[in-house]
Amino acid sequence: MNPFILSILLLSLGLGTTLTFASSHWLLAWMGLEISTLAIIPLMSQHHHPRAVEATTKYFITQAAAAALILFASTTNAWITGQWDINFDLHFFPASMLTMALALKMGLAPVHFWLPEVLQGLDLTTGLILSTWQKLAPFILMCQIMPVNSSLITFLGVTSTLVGGWGGLNQTQLRKILAYSSIAHLGWMILVMQFNQQLALLALIIYIPMTFSTFMIFKTNSSTTVNTLAASWAKTPALTAITPMILLSLGGLPPLSGFMPKWMILQELTKQDIPLTASIAALSALLSLYFYLRVSYAMTLTISPNNLNATTPWRLQTTASTLPLAISATISAMLLPLAPATLALLSL
Amino acid sequence: MLKILIPTLFLLPTTWLTSSKWLWPTALTQSMLIALGSITWLNNTTDTGWTALNSYIGTDPLSTPLLVLSCWLLPLMLLASQNHLSSEPMNRQRMYITLLATLQLFLILAFGATEMIMFYVMFEATLIPTLLVITRWGNQTERLNAGTYFLFYTLAGSLPLLVALLMLQNNTGTLSLLIIPYAKPLLLMPFGSKIWWAACMIAFLVKMPLYGMHLWLPKAHVEAPVAGSMVLAAVLLKLGGYGMMRLMIVLDPLSKEMVYPFIVLALWGVIMTGSICLRQTDLKSLIAYSSVSHMGLVAGGILIQTPWGFTGALILMIAHGLASSALFCLANTNYERTHSRTMLLARGLQIALPLMTTWWFIASLANLALPPLPNLMGELMILTSLFNWSAWTLILTGIGTLITAAYSLYMFLMSQRGPLPQHMLALPPSYTREHLLMALHLIPLLLIILKPTLLWGWFAC
Repeated sequence: MNPFILSILLLSLGLGTTLTFASSHWLLAWMGLEISTLAIIPLMSQHHHPRAVEATTKYFITQAAAAALILFASTTNAWITGQWDINFDLHFFPASMLTMALALKMGLAPVHFWLPEVLQGLDLTTGLILSTWQKLAPFILMCQIMPVNSSLITFLGVTSTLVGGWGGLNQTQLRKILAYSSIAHLGWMILVMQFNQQLALLALIIYIPMTFSTFMIFKTNSSTTVNTLAASWAKTPALTAITPMILLSLGGLPPLSGFMPKWMILQELTKQDIPLTASIAALSALLSLYFYLRVSYAMTLTISPNNLNATTPWRLQTTASTLPLAISATISAMLLPLAPATLALLSL
Repeated sequence: MLKILIPTLFLLPTTWLTSSKWLWPTALTQSMLIALGSITWLNNTTDTGWTALNSYIGTDPLSTPLLVLSCWLLPLMLLASQNHLSSEPMNRQRMYITLLATLQLFLILAFGATEMIMFYVMFEATLIPTLLVITRWGNQTERLNAGTYFLFYTLAGSLPLLVALLMLQNNTGTLSLLIIPYAKPLLLMPFGSKIWWAACMIAFLVKMPLYGMHLWLPKAHVEAPVAGSMVLAAVLLKLGGYGMMRLMIVLDPLSKEMVYPFIVLALWGVIMTGSICLRQTDLKSLIAYSSVSHMGLVAGGILIQTPWGFTGALILMIAHGLASSALFCLANTNYERTHSRTMLLARGLQIALPLMTTWWFIASLANLALPPLPNLMGELMILTSLFNWSAWTLILTGIGTLITAAYSLYMFLMSQRGPLPQHMLALPPSYTREHLLMALHLIPLLLIILKPTLLWGWFAC
């Protein structure tokens, strides 16, 4: 893509999210969301492939519907309570509408159906932007409207963790696996958001390096299915050894960093006297762990001298820098001993 | 504690920086020195009970035998793995030793932890190197299934444990093992507390394993390479027992009714898994089921919550660790020669490998709890404490002992006596390395006869 066009689009993407972060008026927040949606649309369809165009269309329709719902909810709230300030508590009915609209924006169950299909149609870099950057703005808005409708939020959270687990079980396409992983992790964040927004932020901050690492690993191997990952031991042996750590960190196994948000969230839920919800969420993480384990089996644990599972492809030297991956992989796997410092940084 | 932890941690640079000629001798020497250093922990003379105590780790008479066992096992694992790894590229060999060393590190931190969450994190952390060893270096395609069963059975039990520990922290305000015995009694709810009790115990019962939840063990033990089988049988199962013993203190008075079904399951499991052993064709599978059987007895001893029960459980855990690991090493000597675990294919070995028969004999005798070996001491103490609780358990434990003797004898007779099969033409003779390995397993077991109070745990006054 033309570098000027690319920079305009990326900067608009940044502008949109930053606008939403900085806003205290509902209309400005909505505007930020719309700007980021519009900016990412050309990025998604840059390859002019029919599948990419289909993904772009689905994304546009769902995000536009969500944005319209946000506009409607904030207008209704302004009508009922008389003010547009985000800092003031919302009336119950627009709050519920707003929660559902933001859930649709982020891809929480039960309104998650667009996410796997959209992510599947994108190339890995744009998919990375969709999974990480595009979650920030709705997340911040969700943090600020807590806690009005407790049962709805808990329902969204638990359903997302369960759907994220079960939905990913039958997938062989890596982007769909990452989509369901995103749904599950967002479910965890939502569960704790009503009690402690900093913990939700911690979960997001740990989730982003893990997802970034995974996308970058798949990009380095130029693989989009589980089968093609099986040849990565020949292309990038060191990366093949590290990937199970990243994937198990996504699954939330101690002593990797992915355990930190789960532990803190379970602690908060237990303190709030809902240990049953905590147990259900914890056990649903096992479902997600199954497909992460399966990917690591295919990639690392069945390499030679066992029989090969994939035909070896052309091994072209990658010219992209591997430093970002090195940094994010280290963060995703080894941050747990620094948990007290990380929590202190988020002023917990 | 750092005197042992730092050399263990630095085993990792050792494996990656030594030249390929000196890799195995260096790793072996370093781990052996660590093991010898760890024996000093057995000296528990402080009044409070906790030795080598700092803010995070400490040792007490319950954890020191298990710590010494885990440290002792690392050089033995390296000795056992040397042969089957010699054909792999150097980096893979280094990776294997790294996995074993990190497993060792996590085990030391787990047994030495004074805070329950630290114990939990390390308990779970041991799963990852073990999973990698089983699924990457195991030999048959079933190893993937074995790894999955291993990981998911343990995690399904331990995630409720995490929630239960966090609830305990909410209730008492602390999870430090130093403080919890003196904390005020728990606020109990009529039904929820029973679920909380179960959540605390299920993780460790799955790990031990208790009879109904033991399906992961035969798979994992059989598919693992020899070092994996050794560490699983000798130490990882004992993590379950150790966790149970630590948590039992907190769980009174709920335990009075709640232990009933689990003791029944444990004792029934002793008989059932023992009987299955008599019908096994796979040698490693036989030893794996024998592990379930012995650990069922340990579970019974812990759940009964008496001093003799705890003591017997601890002694049996250590003695079984050494004996079971020895048996897996012996099975591996067979496997390396015939590449088969089927007992029918590797019988009458006394004729071909007479010196190994001595070790087979001693290991089988240890397995069937011959006096004066500590296996018998452990079993007898558990038997007695169960009898004190209910005379009827004697039927179950008695039959269990009988069946244990039967399958141990069966294993010895099948593998050593009888005619040598005619296809066994070119068996390499027993290596000195293998003799050393067996000696290092069984001589400590014999030495423990002379001073079993080292392993008596809290009641060794």
